[in-house]
Amino acid sequence: MTLARRKFDTLVIGAGGGGLRAALQLAQADAKVAVVSKVFPTRSHTVAAQGGINAALANVLPDNWHWHMYDTIKGSDYLGDQDAIEYMCRAASNLVVELEHAGVPFSRLENGNIYQRPFGGQSQDFGGKQAARTCAAADRTGHAILHTLYQQNIRAKTHFFDEYFAIDLIKDEEGVILGALVMSIETGEPLLIEAKTTLLATGGAGQLFRTNTNAHINTGDGLAMALRAGIPLQDMEFFQFHPTGIAGKGMLISEAARGEGGYLTNKNGERFMERYAPNAKDLASRDVVSRAIFIEVQEGRGCGPSGDYVNLNINHLGEEVLNKRLPAICDSIRTFLRVDPAKDPVPIYPTAHYTMGGIPTNRQGQVVVPIEHGEEPIPGLYAVGECACVSVHGANRLGGNSLLDIVVFGRAAGNDIIGYLREHRYHRPINESDVEQAMAHLTRWDRKGDGISVAGLRGELQAIMEKYCGVFRTEEILQQGLEKVLEIEQRLDDVVLYDHSKIFNTARIEAFELENLVDIALATVKSALSRQESRGAHSRVDYPERDDKHWLKHSLFYKQDRRMAYKPVRLKPLTVDTFPPKERVY
Amino acid sequence: MRFLIYRYHPEKDQKPYMQAFELDGLDKNKMLRDALLLIKKQDESFTFRHSCGEGVCGSDALNINGTNGLACITPLSSLKEPVEVRPLPGMPVIRDLVVDMAQFYKHYREVKPYLVVTDPEPEVEFKQSPEERSKLDGLYECILCGCCTTACPSFWWNPEKFRGPAALLQAYRFLADSRDQAHDKRLEELDGPYRMFRCHTIMNCVNVCPKGLNPTEAIHNIKRMMMKDVV
Amino acid sequence: MSWRAQGLRTWLLQRLTAIYMALYLLLALLVLYSHPVTGFTAWHDLFHQPVINIATIFMFASIFYHAWVGVRDILVDYVQPQPLRFMILTLVSILLLALMLWVVFLMFGVLQG
Repeated sequence: MTLARRKFDTLVIGAGGGGLRAALQLAQADAKVAVVSKVFPTRSHTVAAQGGINAALANVLPDNWHWHMYDTIKGSDYLGDQDAIEYMCRAASNLVVELEHAGVPFSRLENGNIYQRPFGGQSQDFGGKQAARTCAAADRTGHAILHTLYQQNIRAKTHFFDEYFAIDLIKDEEGVILGALVMSIETGEPLLIEAKTTLLATGGAGQLFRTNTNAHINTGDGLAMALRAGIPLQDMEFFQFHPTGIAGKGMLISEAARGEGGYLTNKNGERFMERYAPNAKDLASRDVVSRAIFIEVQEGRGCGPSGDYVNLNINHLGEEVLNKRLPAICDSIRTFLRVDPAKDPVPIYPTAHYTMGGIPTNRQGQVVVPIEHGEEPIPGLYAVGECACVSVHGANRLGGNSLLDIVVFGRAAGNDIIGYLREHRYHRPINESDVEQAMAHLTRWDRKGDGISVAGLRGELQAIMEKYCGVFRTEEILQQGLEKVLEIEQRLDDVVLYDHSKIFNTARIEAFELENLVDIALATVKSALSRQESRGAHSRVDYPERDDKHWLKHSLFYKQDRRMAYKPVRLKPLTVDTFPPKERVY
Repeated sequence: MRFLIYRYHPEKDQKPYMQAFELDGLDKNKMLRDALLLIKKQDESFTFRHSCGEGVCGSDALNINGTNGLACITPLSSLKEPVEVRPLPGMPVIRDLVVDMAQFYKHYREVKPYLVVTDPEPEVEFKQSPEERSKLDGLYECILCGCCTTACPSFWWNPEKFRGPAALLQAYRFLADSRDQAHDKRLEELDGPYRMFRCHTIMNCVNVCPKGLNPTEAIHNIKRMMMKDVV
Repeated sequence: MSWRAQGLRTWLLQRLTAIYMALYLLLALLVLYSHPVTGFTAWHDLFHQPVINIATIFMFASIFYHAWVGVRDILVDYVQPQPLRFMILTLVSILLLALMLWVVFLMFGVLQG
């Protein structure tokens, strides 16, 4: 049987905000773009982003990009690369205006400008008063942006491969990426998409953890594809736990709830954040708030019969504000908790939310790997969004910066690819041997017989990650976690499918996803075990302090030999002065 | 709890059938999606689409006890036993509960669901008053799950020609947008006996929309806009 | 495209004819209730008045147009085979046109006689 082939200038894998923004840039420049997505594009997880997108428009309170830059660097616990952060914060206003022009239905102020709300970790004048920087479309900003980007791609006639699953990148002997092997979920047939450039925009891996805010599809497929192609993953120990997930279930309640005036209380009715962050209080960075909730519950001040959650209070905001500014989360609370947020407090608990780490890239979106001195891009490969690590989020992402990240770097990658295509006019030939590994990966799941089930092992992995790689970590716990994940990796060999049919076989897709999750779990635990300090979202009880002398550096995890390497943080911004690391208090 | 699930596997089955499943000790506060996932654990060949689990991605639209809805926000406690779960009506079934939505997406694309501006763009945002913006509420929230369109008899009878409630809601989303400048073209495109005027105000769409949107009202508003332009 | 029934125009006319029919019926009932008409001559005299005569022609025109749109809507929904639908539409249109001609013929007869 001969393998079906299609040829495009650029292959974009993933149709969330990052992939669609890049595809739009390319399609408008008349490049032939294929977007491969395992779900219909508007079902990508960008759709679930609620609170908003940061840009220093200064529509509500005084603001400028430099303050935004400072907040982002401080939020990252100084692990963010300052050149990329400057680039992002400078671009923010233009990009938000561009989205507005493309049709995003932002909420409005009386004067007709875009509505902005306060969010965690935002300040005026480098750490001064609270800023209001998050541009919002009620509490459905991600939905509004994703749908708009998809609509504009329809207009630009981008070519979509909906419900195609990417198996592996195709790399030739010289290390150039030539496209990817993908599979139609509907027919089960493989397809080789040849492309001069390939962009990974596959999102995060929230499914690593049992309780998470993420969709079922967030299995970090691009991260694992990169690992298998010999590319390291950067800063994987930094996984964000969102402070306000619906307790016990995990659905996200946006930071907008606190931005609009909501606050947290423990079982004594105390506004405990005042103790942990005297200035920012409930609007401190997410890592700070999550840890505070964790400690409250651990020390016996949790609410409810088992004392295992704290309360989010938004009932004082009044029906009008709730209906106008937070309609979707109120719906969600009513549906999943049967609580009326206009009357009663909402039980919440920190929940796995965002992968700060990812595929190392520069600010043009090129995937970069270390060489002897410095680093070099991998020809033909790009990555943007949650699956990439530029790094603008460092050790902790600020709320409202993820939607910004995807549009800024989606666009930047698109522009860089346009330049690359100009210099590389022709497809390189693909040899049979380049595809062999990917094809073997595909046929691995044809194996029959008795064994462990995919769903069972996925559940075990999630429970292990939650228990051994959660908010607070120690050497001992992480070591146990590593061993357990390694054991799961071993048992992966014994997993078999009982359903070997071709047509819309979701069991097979979940098997591929499980493989990917195991690779990423290893990267996460190993990186966490190696970093002997506390920084941002990575809290080591045994190393409670940040240690800039030894650990102000990015970690890199290689799949081969599970090797760790490190590279320096880029502390020099593009034009302004460096923000040197200092103590981080809110 | 007892479930009757529509099964059809084109590689094996001559025709579809209903399969009974029994789940013991199920927490009735859980959602139908949770139950379907448990069934998939028993039988991994059982196939349905799902993703976000909180009613925003629109993947798991199904026909539940005869009414279209999203499995992930349908509490088990609200369902009469045995719970009959079928694929969305009026679309070709690919396998089990998975339907081919190509026609639905085509109608969506054909209403040109994007903002069209012909004037030069300012370097700042377009101004839009809160009142103008509030006209988009109840329109932009659509998640393209397909519950409404596949509940619409007019769509069942003329699936290729009638745009269906979801696409028409989106058509109106742009007609109602103070920034859009393709007003006449959009209205012109919707005229004719089929595209919009197949709507007989049956209002199934309104009854089933999991986001509480009102396509019938949107269609009514489009007709009013057309009349305004003529009279 | 112009030979095809336009959506808006048809939809609008269906509603206008409905309003006209309702008004005509209401007025007719009121008139007949307050001035009962009996016998051939009384009826003849009534329809001999040009206003009433023409209004009645319009009434029937409305009925037939309204029926035409309604029947066409039903056929478009429920009769899917194109040739069959076309045949039924043709028969219905011939029938309605014949009825209309008959009404006009009758009414003009009254007017002249």
